[in-house]
Amino acid sequence: MAATVPNRVKPRRQPIKWDVVGLQVLLIVGSFLMAYPLFFGVAASLSTLEVYTRSTWFPLPNTLYLENYRVLFTTQSSILLWVINTLLRIAWYVVVPGTVAVLAGYVFARLQFRGRETVFLLLLSSMMVPGIVYYVPTYVMMARWPLAGGNDLWGQGGHGFVNDWPAMLLPGMVNVFYIFLLRQTFFSIPKDFEEAARVDGANTFQVLTKVYLPMLKPAITVMVIFQFVAIWNDYLWPLIAAGGNEDIWPIALGFQRVMFSGASFKGSRGGSITDYPFAFAIATVATLPTVLLFLFLQRYFVEGVQGFALKG
Amino acid sequence: MTTLSSPIQQKRPIPQPVSRWQRWRYYNRHAFEAWLILTPILLYYLIFNVAPVVLNIGLSFTRWNGISGSPEWIGINNYLQYTRGDYPRIIFNTALFAVSALLLQTTIAFFIAVLLNQKIFGRGLYRALWYIPTLTSAAIMAQVALIFISPFDGVLNAILKALGQAPVIWTIQGNWMRAFIIAFTIWRGIGSPVVLFLAALQGVHPELYEAAMVDGASRWRLLRYITIPLLRPMILFVLVTGIIGGFQVFEAVMLISKGGPQNMTNVMLLQIYNDAFVNTNLGVASAGAVVMALILLWFSLTGMRLMQQGRMEE
Repeated sequence: MAATVPNRVKPRRQPIKWDVVGLQVLLIVGSFLMAYPLFFGVAASLSTLEVYTRSTWFPLPNTLYLENYRVLFTTQSSILLWVINTLLRIAWYVVVPGTVAVLAGYVFARLQFRGRETVFLLLLSSMMVPGIVYYVPTYVMMARWPLAGGNDLWGQGGHGFVNDWPAMLLPGMVNVFYIFLLRQTFFSIPKDFEEAARVDGANTFQVLTKVYLPMLKPAITVMVIFQFVAIWNDYLWPLIAAGGNEDIWPIALGFQRVMFSGASFKGSRGGSITDYPFAFAIATVATLPTVLLFLFLQRYFVEGVQGFALKG
Repeated sequence: MTTLSSPIQQKRPIPQPVSRWQRWRYYNRHAFEAWLILTPILLYYLIFNVAPVVLNIGLSFTRWNGISGSPEWIGINNYLQYTRGDYPRIIFNTALFAVSALLLQTTIAFFIAVLLNQKIFGRGLYRALWYIPTLTSAAIMAQVALIFISPFDGVLNAILKALGQAPVIWTIQGNWMRAFIIAFTIWRGIGSPVVLFLAALQGVHPELYEAAMVDGASRWRLLRYITIPLLRPMILFVLVTGIIGGFQVFEAVMLISKGGPQNMTNVMLLQIYNDAFVNTNLGVASAGAVVMALILLWFSLTGMRLMQQGRMEE
């Protein structure tokens, strides 16, 4: 079971180590058990309802039944709208906290000014506050935002930003963890590059965009993919902030509507809640982007998870 | 923290003649740029990161429905609420889920990482399979899970039937529901610990194992006396971050069991959500958030102290 044991130190030669084989079989079985619900979902989404109902362990379609996906992408359903909403939110939460993190990371790593460490620690201290503390008061702030959504100057009378895009986009524009991550990355880059550019007359903006941005690419990639997964799967805040306006829902929230009242989304086919293959098709569409992202950028995911451990 | 630290600042010629203002600008240009960038960030931070915490603590001492009227001061009554009725049970459930899911998950993740660290055919595929559930949406997977545990046409009952077991009605049999939610939490949560343990295992020098093997140590002894002690800091880290994550289980409970049957699977985060947005009792919800924040703060401080101790022993 020991990690990597080179062949040359084998004390005795054995034909087959049955205990090793047993452990590896255990590993393979476990791995496929982990993937079983996902494989099941994809297979079910490609099955007709009859094939699905007849199956016990696993729905095995004889022919690929693509009707569920065709309905999903062609009929007038909100699913595409929800996917677009989610992508808009991801774009916002990549660009804004990302820019803030690069700028603030530069400030805290490269500029010398009085109070730098104090301000940084002040920001860092909020990482000790768990997210749950923010939901209720941020909701109150959104609902009572002055002069928004029919509110008067004192935040009374209207619904504020609730059920509107600002409620979905305003919180979380400054992400302290990413500032921390970028600051560490700036520390790992030698100062010589910046100094050379400064001698050539570059200003801070040029130094950041022309010199640092290319070198920060791995850290920024980690930031982008983790924001993508987090926002794609975000459920609780959209539910609180926009539960009443399905035009701005993200897909994670919209899926619920399909599950609990599937009928309206089957278009002319008149499905119902027991049309499980259709639900599985939507779940597949709603899960695939993050999985594909992972398969293509696996290295960065591993780096990111380790980064959270070493730096967080 | 001098204003003149980088060599470039000395190299660059100061244009002459300069006014006092220009000179001041030059010597403080770091601070000038820093505050130009930091001012809007800190302003935002004050409104969206600091104010909500203060507001939450304030609200926890009031009675307010959040819709009309204004908050009414009622002292610590909201906190006392947490000692009455079903609330102690909800705290117990939260701790039960967090601790049992965490211990099982960490143990499984550790052994899986040890196995995945061997040279085995298709290793990359297995590694991916263990991490992918972490990337799925808890909300969507929880609702998919509902299809799996559907009492009459669900897959799990079909499998139980094929194995000759009595079907389980999850919505009535509370302990089965607890077990299912714990299993679901582990399924979605185990990816990160596996990756972390794998990373830590790759830092262990193979020479250590070789030396021990030459001395005739058994596999179990290698694990017990080399792998586990060397991975101790990572195990500690996984446990501390895991307990904090475990306390914040929400989607699984809200969408699979809705806290039922008889609050047997209700957890604090769901109760806070229900208090605030279903029962429109923001005071009790805010008090719950403060209670939970204090519990989590205690865990992170204890964890940090343990990790510090571990570092000093080394």
